[in-house]
Amino acid sequence: MITDALIHSTRRTVLIVEDEAVNRDLLGIILKGNYDVLYASDGLEALEILETYPGRVAMILLDILMPRMDGIEFLRRRGADEALSRIPVIVLTSDKDAELETLKMGALDFIAKPYDMPEIILARIQRIIEFVEDRQIIQEVERDELTGLYTRGFFFEYSRRLQAAQGGELRDVIAVDVDHFRLVNEVYGKGFGDELLCAVADGIWDELRGGFGIACRGDVDLFYVYLNQREDYEAVYSRLMDRVHALGRQTNVRLRMGVYRGVEADRPLDWYCVAAKAACDTIRGNYARSVVVYDSTMHERELYNERLIADMETAIAEKQFVVYYQPKYDIRGDVPKLYSAEALVRWIHPELGFISPGAFIPLFEENGLISKLDDFVWREAAAQIRDWQDRLGICLPVSVNISRMDFFDTDLKRKLLEIVAENGIPVDSLVLEVTESAYSQNMERMLKTVGELREAGFRIEMDDFGSGYSSLNMLCVMPIDALKIDMKFVRNVVNSGVGYRMVELVVEMARALDVPAVVEGVEDEAQYQMIKRVGCDIIQGYYFSRPVPPEDFEPMMKKDR
Amino acid sequence: MLTIDSLRAYGANVNEGLTRCMNNESFYLMLVGKSLEDRNFEKLREAMAAGNTTAAFDAAHALKGSTGNLALTPIYEPICQLTELLRGKSEAVNADALVDRIMEQLEKAKQL
Repeated sequence: MITDALIHSTRRTVLIVEDEAVNRDLLGIILKGNYDVLYASDGLEALEILETYPGRVAMILLDILMPRMDGIEFLRRRGADEALSRIPVIVLTSDKDAELETLKMGALDFIAKPYDMPEIILARIQRIIEFVEDRQIIQEVERDELTGLYTRGFFFEYSRRLQAAQGGELRDVIAVDVDHFRLVNEVYGKGFGDELLCAVADGIWDELRGGFGIACRGDVDLFYVYLNQREDYEAVYSRLMDRVHALGRQTNVRLRMGVYRGVEADRPLDWYCVAAKAACDTIRGNYARSVVVYDSTMHERELYNERLIADMETAIAEKQFVVYYQPKYDIRGDVPKLYSAEALVRWIHPELGFISPGAFIPLFEENGLISKLDDFVWREAAAQIRDWQDRLGICLPVSVNISRMDFFDTDLKRKLLEIVAENGIPVDSLVLEVTESAYSQNMERMLKTVGELREAGFRIEMDDFGSGYSSLNMLCVMPIDALKIDMKFVRNVVNSGVGYRMVELVVEMARALDVPAVVEGVEDEAQYQMIKRVGCDIIQGYYFSRPVPPEDFEPMMKKDR
Repeated sequence: MLTIDSLRAYGANVNEGLTRCMNNESFYLMLVGKSLEDRNFEKLREAMAAGNTTAAFDAAHALKGSTGNLALTPIYEPICQLTELLRGKSEAVNADALVDRIMEQLEKAKQL
């Protein structure tokens, strides 16, 4: 690692350009304790030396009046060369007149003749070298190499200062995020991903042109902008999307934008960025909305979510998570019969109380923690199957969720088989529910893994059927053992007349695939009658029972089996 | 012989000159010796004789820097005056007396 101490301990080289031997030698003896010194007796010789030792000279001390090539001409040549113009110049002068001209030509400081105390000369040289090198380091790290926007750290540093000086100006922060960027990279390649990020950055540059504002790439596919308030962010958004479309590919790439209106000086800018990002995240996966303005409830939710994430590991260790079971009934006969159960996790938090799975499951799915929770539920469910088998003599299949994230674990099959073996239960008693959307997002891998799990003896149910985007073609090649559809989904998409027809279609589809059709979320007698009439095989829902703790589940096992 | 004491007696601001030489006496004396042999003194004399004020200015300017740095005050002072007199001029007026004084002080120093 390059540390400040290392940088400042390296011996720098100073080039003295001076025709007067006495002056040259004097500077030489002053400098040689701290620097390596090169000498040139005029501008031409200086240029030759700089060409001979590229990148070596850290500072040039330049006399003005010299034969062959004077200091003014040397400064002119230096100014025309990018590499040379990075080397700072201190002019050696005995004339006040020369100072302004050389300053205009890029000299940073002067050393008057007769010379000041050596200590003063050394201090000036050292300060200029440090200043210039620090500036160069900053220039190298303050910009994001790909997009040319500021890097995150510098953005926050600069915007904090701007925020302190903003006075009465109305300013906002926006967060722009590329929806499913990882997927875009995977599908279209990293080259296209980079092009996309640059297009967004260019669009942001355009928005800032002529007005106040700075922007950074805060994370891989996340941009923050601090800018003068705009009336219409939908318009800003559509201009950014125009940039994306101009890339000329038929893609479904979508940006999301979160806006914080009215940045004040009372909170750090980071806070406003987090708020804008939180607003932006509320429409993840919601294709109907692309721009969201932050409101205060979002921050409370953000804090709440952070709390849940922070508490998760402890909750597993302390068994705050409990598994409830909801029965599935086979309604094909005259009397409904208990067919199986679904394991559903509940979180009873010591301080926050009962937390709805809807509050923590999407959260854990987002950051990957879901895999740990899934693992916990699998083990609990398997142990429960075994317990019922031992105590009641009933081997009831229990289904558990396999999250999309779990499929990234190459060890998935081995882990599941191990759980089954440890509990001494049949492989097909632990049923695996996989959501349809997991299939459509990484089809090949899913088909392969699900195929392997089935070969190992597991049964697979496709969950939330109809909410994803699977094609009929995909359904034909999909290795599954049941189709599961949510009543709620049916109700949401269509009015009741068509809803009936929809369920009918799904049931027919299940017939065609030769697997049972499962409908969940059946709540009342009317729905039950309708579903039964359609010819659905299995029903899960409040009509029979809500999810309950194992001890409350057992009576159903004894009665309805 | 050129020594710290003789230079001091001559009127040089020895302490100032020595400071610039990091108090290295022999280095200082060496530079003073070199300075007294500076070809610019000869150039100055020739340029003045030829009425070439530009060349005279260049020589005087160069000498101003080195004698100033070595704090050879008896030479440095008239050279400063001469430099200002010649600066931007095509004709030198009243310069001869200054040049004479410079050469006089130069010879005096060489006798040390």
